[in-house]
Amino acid sequence: MKKPSLALFLFGLLSSVLPAQQTASPNTTLWHDAKGRELMATFRGIKDDNIFLQTKDGNVHRIPLALLTPDDQQKARSLKVEGLGIPMDPGVAQAAAAIDKIVLARLQKAGLQPNALASDEQFVRRVYLDLTGRIPTREETITFLTDSSASKRAKLIDQLVNSQGFSSRMFNYFADMLRLTDDANKIKYFNYQEWLKQQIAENKPWNQVVHEMLSAKGTMFENGASGYLLRDKGMKLDNLSLTLTTFLGANVACAQCHDHPFADWTQKQFYEMAAFMGETETESRNRGNARKLLADLDRKTAQQAKNILRVNTASITETGTNEMKLPKDYKYKDGKPGDEVKPTLVSWSKDDLRTKAYRDAAAELKAPKGKEVPDREVFAKWLTSADNPRFSMTLANRLWKVVFGVAVREPISDLDDPSAASNPELLHHIAGEMKRLNFDIRAFMRLLCNTETYQREAVTQEINLGEPYYFPGPILRRMSAEQAWDSCVTLAIGDKVDGFKLKRAETYTQIMDLDLANAGPGEVKARLENALAQRGEMKKNGAPGKTGKAGKKQRRMMEEEEETGDVDFTRPAVMSGLVLARASELPQPEKGEHFLRMFGQSDRQIADSNSEEGSIPQVMMLMNGDAQEVLQNPKSKVLATSTEEKTPEAQVQSLYISFLSRNPKPAELAEATAALAGGLTPADLTWVLFNSREFMFVQ
Amino acid sequence: MKHSLRSFDPLSRRAFAEQVARTALGVSILPHFAQGAEPAVIDQAKLPGFGKAKRVIWLQMEGGMSHIDTLDPKLGDTKGPKDPIKTKAGYMLGGFLPKLAAEQADKLTLIRSMTSKTGVHASGQYLMRTAYEQRGTIKHPTLGAWAHHLLGASHQTLPSSVCINRNPGHGNGFFPASHSPLPVGNPEAGLQFAKFRTSEDIIDKRMALLNKVDSEFRAKFHDTNLKSYGDFYDNTLQLLKGEELKAFQISSEPGDLREKYGKSDLGQGCLLARRLIENDVRFVEVASGGWDMHTDLEDRMGEKGNALDTALAALIGDLGSRGLLDSTLIVLCSEFGRTPEVTGDGGRNHYPKVFSTLLAGAGVKRGFTYGSSDAEGAHVADKQTTIQDFHSTIGHIMGMNPNEVVMSPSNRPFTIGDKGAVISDILA
Repeated sequence: MKKPSLALFLFGLLSSVLPAQQTASPNTTLWHDAKGRELMATFRGIKDDNIFLQTKDGNVHRIPLALLTPDDQQKARSLKVEGLGIPMDPGVAQAAAAIDKIVLARLQKAGLQPNALASDEQFVRRVYLDLTGRIPTREETITFLTDSSASKRAKLIDQLVNSQGFSSRMFNYFADMLRLTDDANKIKYFNYQEWLKQQIAENKPWNQVVHEMLSAKGTMFENGASGYLLRDKGMKLDNLSLTLTTFLGANVACAQCHDHPFADWTQKQFYEMAAFMGETETESRNRGNARKLLADLDRKTAQQAKNILRVNTASITETGTNEMKLPKDYKYKDGKPGDEVKPTLVSWSKDDLRTKAYRDAAAELKAPKGKEVPDREVFAKWLTSADNPRFSMTLANRLWKVVFGVAVREPISDLDDPSAASNPELLHHIAGEMKRLNFDIRAFMRLLCNTETYQREAVTQEINLGEPYYFPGPILRRMSAEQAWDSCVTLAIGDKVDGFKLKRAETYTQIMDLDLANAGPGEVKARLENALAQRGEMKKNGAPGKTGKAGKKQRRMMEEEEETGDVDFTRPAVMSGLVLARASELPQPEKGEHFLRMFGQSDRQIADSNSEEGSIPQVMMLMNGDAQEVLQNPKSKVLATSTEEKTPEAQVQSLYISFLSRNPKPAELAEATAALAGGLTPADLTWVLFNSREFMFVQ
Repeated sequence: MKHSLRSFDPLSRRAFAEQVARTALGVSILPHFAQGAEPAVIDQAKLPGFGKAKRVIWLQMEGGMSHIDTLDPKLGDTKGPKDPIKTKAGYMLGGFLPKLAAEQADKLTLIRSMTSKTGVHASGQYLMRTAYEQRGTIKHPTLGAWAHHLLGASHQTLPSSVCINRNPGHGNGFFPASHSPLPVGNPEAGLQFAKFRTSEDIIDKRMALLNKVDSEFRAKFHDTNLKSYGDFYDNTLQLLKGEELKAFQISSEPGDLREKYGKSDLGQGCLLARRLIENDVRFVEVASGGWDMHTDLEDRMGEKGNALDTALAALIGDLGSRGLLDSTLIVLCSEFGRTPEVTGDGGRNHYPKVFSTLLAGAGVKRGFTYGSSDAEGAHVADKQTTIQDFHSTIGHIMGMNPNEVVMSPSNRPFTIGDKGAVISDILA
């Protein structure tokens, strides 16, 4: 925190040079101290007899109230804290203000005004959805709205970025980006998923997480991070193309088969990048032994054993010889089909080559005998280097889109030309911030949410294709499938929903992990017996199995347990056949007919393919589906809380706060209570609010 | 998908340069516009097959169906794990398709000279569904949406397009949301939640209240997606109150027929597609994933090939016996083929350079092959056919003029098939 004396020095100094504020507010005004000095600043709140004033440069100054003139002291006490309030951390406030400044400058240049600051009601709902992936509960909303502290917004942001809900939220985002699936290539990816969850929960710097994914060795049992390359087992080129697109925004996909028609990438360049993977094998370890084992087993056992052997052969190894060659149909003049390709890094400009990322890689590629660095390791280090010109920018641009609804540069998969962004300076700035914050995702999201730009009202006008967007505020977004589902579950059981964590890797490892190099037929048979026994046990315990819909028997059992209140967090509650857990703790992805999929959850075949579109079946589900039945169940938290209230008005009010995080307006209250008198019940009102656009969209 | 709607990237410089070049070199790239005659004067309707398909069942194999193991089998080094089957129609089919070969070969038209430049799933599927390259600045419609626009809705309350086993992304393109296909995630489940859980009277009361209390929010935001939800609610209510939804229940089909189509997502999807087109849904896509066989092709073709063989043979037979084959066009396609060479892991990789598609029924010849690949299945040997040509041809058979220019809301000109040529040799 800046010392008061330093702040006082500013008095009289800045008032004349400060331009007029963008938005006229009584909170931004000229302040006077008892000695007659002046300071143009925005009121951020009073705490412990100190006044907090923010100057245009973003600094927030703490000044003893007694130093101000009596008039100004009185004025300060009469002001209501607007928007951001007292920051929790002056560093964050200043960094946030720097972002705001860049945004405002671009808006000004375009002759545009920023939107007004969002109300507390709008803010609390939005920030919960953005940072925890669900709406706030009624209690959480009331706690925030009635908090009179001047730093309540910053306080809430800090609380939410450190919550369990944040981990679920980010897992859902990355699950779509990385195409996480339980099943692919006839093996299960539980260990990979849990590894990723662990990294998010521990808040490991994202460049380290990606480095581990790109450089992992062994089976997923040995290292969950292996799942990243093994997800595309046998499809090395596709995996590489996704890696470059996802983490660097390099639009290279076309160059896999031919020179890119529009961008500058050539097919040769693509293969030179692929050569970094030329020594890497994503399967086949001990396949010979696996085949031999199969031959030794009787036919039925062999059939059952296939799954065990398959997952154990799925392993990343280094062969030591680079096998990358130009494809058989190579047709350009710079090479012949079958030519060996040397690993060579792409670059976007000559300046890139002077960065540490490139210099280190060049040195490693030339390392003398005995000191060789595996090509893949060189690549992983280069890609995730803080100095890689695209890595930090791509992540920053992606996370910006998570909270603002649109990225600074669209599409997020193509950052080849940052100067084409709606605000290139902003893009470079947030990339720098990502680097400064050491790829700490929580810190970065905290920073974005502390900006005024984020805390403004959502834009109301249509945003047209091809039109640049300068961020007068966030845009209106439909909830993602995961946000909608997790909100629905929150309505049903409250904030305890964040507590349940699905754990499947340990059991799966116990059943499937086999020392393939040394295993004999006897061991395989023992594995199988163990597997069958475990499966029986799992069924009995009612762990959420293959489908989000619990089996009939299991469901009955779990619902009975619910009645007796005998529920711990080893397993989630079940109502109307739905497992009431966060989307991150359900099958990845859910089955086609599950709420999540019908609301647009990606099938995880294609990166970043969650959809926000409506459809007739989706609306049928919202009207008549199981989720709706859950909310209308008298035991659902939202309905139980409402019906405890004595008067219809209080019941309506309770439902409004639960669903929309705000009190009903007088007209709405009148309409709703009239409807209650005219034959509808509070359960019907849950239907009405659940089906409202205001519920489904985030403003 | 909203993120593409919100994409603001303009065409890159190189793309722009290429567009300029196209305009300047119009002769080679815009055949129809450059043939001297005015486009509309080419009398589309005089070519055979025009408008014969009142309905289309579009089977899209997702992941890249190996042409060599299905529609374009080879005998040399690149031969797949199964021997090709010689059909009575004189051509060969892949060994994984015995039923199709034995029962329906005389009803098929195969195009074995398809080619494209897109070897990536997402953009390849987009291209195959829309005939346009995926761009950040516009969404393109499928043929179902084109037909809705040019020919009108095919039914009063049912949607004109349905897609089975996938979500509706890449659907309506720049046309209104009402043109987007209705998605059915699981054909066996059909349309879930098609019954109100309470009386219509209560539903009406709820809707009345909803429309009142939600009106301020709806009026505040000018957002296409938000508005489209209003239409979806209107359409859904209309459907729920009527009888037409029975079209979605394949449980009403006899058990042996359901068996005959095969108990796969593709088989049951085809059966549902038949019910839907019988009920005047014009365009039904059945998608089926799992064709991306980089490894273990033999195993996986065993499963997927059998599902396709069973489903398609049953569908053609069923439509034939109902007298619907003359007015229904069946399309089988995939985003690309797979490499002629088999990898060390017993798979094949992506291969857009040459691949095959299949047409059967209305407006096309029967027992016919068009174009060919070379002996390895590696290059087009004869009659190169683009995805744009393919779309233009199907559009023609559906009764639409591929030369008709439609302006998008952003005032850019588009045509069915992106200026492809109608393949008149296969029309009947």
